[in-house]
Amino acid sequence: MILVAAKNLARHRVRNALAILGIAVAAALLLDMVMLAGGMERSFERMLLSRGYQIRLAPKGTLPFDTEATLPGAAALSARLRADPRVRAAGAVLGGALFTVSGDSLLPLAGLGVEPEGQGLYELDRGADLVPGDTTGIVISATVAAATGWRSGDTVRIISGTDPQIARASSERRLVVRGVVHWLYAARGQRTVGIALPLMRRLNRAAGDRASMIMVKVTRDQDVEPVASDIRRLAPAVEVNSVTTLVARFRTRLTYFRQLSLILGTISLFVGILLVTTLLTITVNERRGEIATLRAIGVSRGGIVRRVLLEGALLTLAGNVIGLLLGLATARYLDGILTSFPGLPAAISFFVPERGAVLRAAAALLVAGSIAGAWPAWRAARAPIAATLREEAT
Amino acid sequence: MLGILAALLLQTPPPPLAIEHRLARALALSVGDTVRVRQEPDAPGQLMVVGAIYAPRADPATVLRNEFHVRFHLPDLAGLLGARDRIDRVGVSLVPGVEPDSAARRLDRLAVGFRVRPSAEIASESSRTFLVVSRFHRAIGVISIVASAIFLLCIMLLKVEERRLDAAVMRMIGVRRRTVFTALLLEASLVALLGAALGIGLASLSSVVVNAYYGHRFETDLRFALLTPGITLFGAVLSLLLGLLAGGIAAARLVRTRPLVLWRRG
Repeated sequence: MILVAAKNLARHRVRNALAILGIAVAAALLLDMVMLAGGMERSFERMLLSRGYQIRLAPKGTLPFDTEATLPGAAALSARLRADPRVRAAGAVLGGALFTVSGDSLLPLAGLGVEPEGQGLYELDRGADLVPGDTTGIVISATVAAATGWRSGDTVRIISGTDPQIARASSERRLVVRGVVHWLYAARGQRTVGIALPLMRRLNRAAGDRASMIMVKVTRDQDVEPVASDIRRLAPAVEVNSVTTLVARFRTRLTYFRQLSLILGTISLFVGILLVTTLLTITVNERRGEIATLRAIGVSRGGIVRRVLLEGALLTLAGNVIGLLLGLATARYLDGILTSFPGLPAAISFFVPERGAVLRAAAALLVAGSIAGAWPAWRAARAPIAATLREEAT
Repeated sequence: MLGILAALLLQTPPPPLAIEHRLARALALSVGDTVRVRQEPDAPGQLMVVGAIYAPRADPATVLRNEFHVRFHLPDLAGLLGARDRIDRVGVSLVPGVEPDSAARRLDRLAVGFRVRPSAEIASESSRTFLVVSRFHRAIGVISIVASAIFLLCIMLLKVEERRLDAAVMRMIGVRRRTVFTALLLEASLVALLGAALGIGLASLSSVVVNAYYGHRFETDLRFALLTPGITLFGAVLSLLLGLLAGGIAAARLVRTRPLVLWRRG
C-alpha cells in the first residue's frame, strides 16, 4: 500500500515537490519554535548548574547581581553554611568596578571578589588558582589577557575608586596574575578579573562584611529545598534562590520569546495542515473516477481512506526529513542573532537542539499532516460509485 | 514646655518622594502617606512622604522587567545611599552651534573618573537590544515569506491546473496561447490580491489583540505590534508579485502543453 501511495504521489512530481518543500519550511519553523520555547530555560539551567551550585543568596527582593544592593554578614554566613554537613561548598562574591592602566588611559574591568574555598564563578584554564587569604593574586579572563597582554606571573596595576575631583585613582594595588580562567556567567567580550573577597572590599572601600551574592553547593540534590528553607529561617533578610526559582523568574522575563514561539509554531503547524489538506482534496477530486472504480471492484471504504491518509503521511514525512535539516541550520543562524544581546552571558543559547524537542516537533507535524488527510479521505470514501462513474464516462 | 514646642516646630518633616501609579496601586498608597525607604533590607532606612504619584513615560527597554519606579530629590537619594555629593551621571546641554563630539572630547580630557559621551552615542548603545530583536524579527519574516511563497506557488499551480479543461477548450477553439496565459495570470493576480486583503485584515485584527493583551499585561500604552502603511503596502505588493510569479509559472506550463494532452488529462 505504501508503494501504491508513493506511486500516486509521483504522478504529480512538481506539485508534490512544492508541497514537500512547503511542509519542510513549516516543519523547520516549527522545530525552531519548539527549540526556542524550551531551549532558553534549559540553557540557563545548565549554565547555573555548571559548577554544581544549586542555591544563590542575594539581597532581599533582588536577583543575584541585578542591583547594586549587597548582603550584610556575608562571609560569616557563608562560613556558617560551610559548617552544615549537607553543604559541600559555599562562597560569597562581591562585584565592583576596577581599572588598569593601558597606555595613557584607564581600562575598565569587571571585578569580582571571591572566596576561593567556595567559588562557583569560574574554571581555571591555565596557571594557578587563587588560594584562601590571597591578598596579592588576581585571576583574569582570556579577554583581559588579550586586551592587556598579561600572562601568569606578571605583576600588574589594579586601580579602584577613581575620583574626578582630585583627578586620580583613590586606591591602587600591584597584584600578581595567578592564572587565566573561564568566567561561566560573563558576557561575550566582557573583561572580568577575580581577586580574593577581602582584597576586593579593601579596594572598593566596602564597609563591613558585605557581598553581592553567596553561592551554595549542596551535596545531595534532594537536600536543596530543605537547605534553602533552613537558610530562609536563618537569614530572613536574604533572598534565597534555588535554581528552580531562578529559572522560573528567568522564564517570566522571557515571556515574549515563549509566546512568540507558541504563536509561530501554531501558525507553521496550521500552514502544514492547510497545505496537505488542499493538495489531497484536489488530488482526490482529480481521481474521483479512479476511486469509484476501485470501490466498484470491491475495495472497501476503509481501504480508500487508508490510501489517502497514507499519501498525506508520506508527504508530511518527506517534508519533515528536509525540514529537520533546514530547521537545525536556521536555528543556528537565529541563535547567532539572539545571543548577540548586549550583556547576555556567553553560555546562554536560545535554540538548543535536543532529541526530545526534535522528536516532539516531528511527531506533531506528522500527526497533523496525517490527520489533515482525513477530510479528503472521507470525501473520497463517501463518493457515490455509480453516479461518479457515469459522470466520468460522459 | 516651650522647648518641646520649639523642638516640634524645628523638626524637619520627612522629605517627599514621587512614586509611579502602579506602585501606588500595588501598595495602596496615596499622596501624603508616609513610607520607610531602605537601601538594604537590614538598613534602618528613612521615613519619606509620598509627594506625588506619576505615570512614567513608557520605555520599551524596561517594560519587560516590570519594575516599580520611584523618584527622589538628588540630595535625599544621595543621603539614603550614604554617597553624599556623588552621582551616576550629569546631563549637559550645549549652547547652539557647539559640536557635541568635540565638546565631549574636550570634557573627557579634563579628569579621570568619568567618561563624556554624546547623547547620540548613548542612544545608539542603549538601542542595541532593539537592533538584535529587530534583526531576529527580520530573519523570522524572511522565513515566513519563503514559506508563503512556496505555499502560494503550490496553490497557484493547483488552481491553474484545475483549469486545464477550460484551457484545452479555449486552445481548441482557436484562442491564442497569449490570451489563455493572460487570463490565467489575471485570475492568479486576483486571487493573490484577495488573499493579501484578507491577510491585511487578519494582521490588523491580530495587532489589535496583541496590543490589547500586552498593554494590559504590562500596564503600558506602548504598542507592541504596529501595522504601518509601509508594511501594509509591502505585504500587498509582495503577495501580488508572488501571485503573479507563481501564476505565471503555472500558466506557462499549462499553455506549453498541447490541448489534446490537456484534454486527456482532464
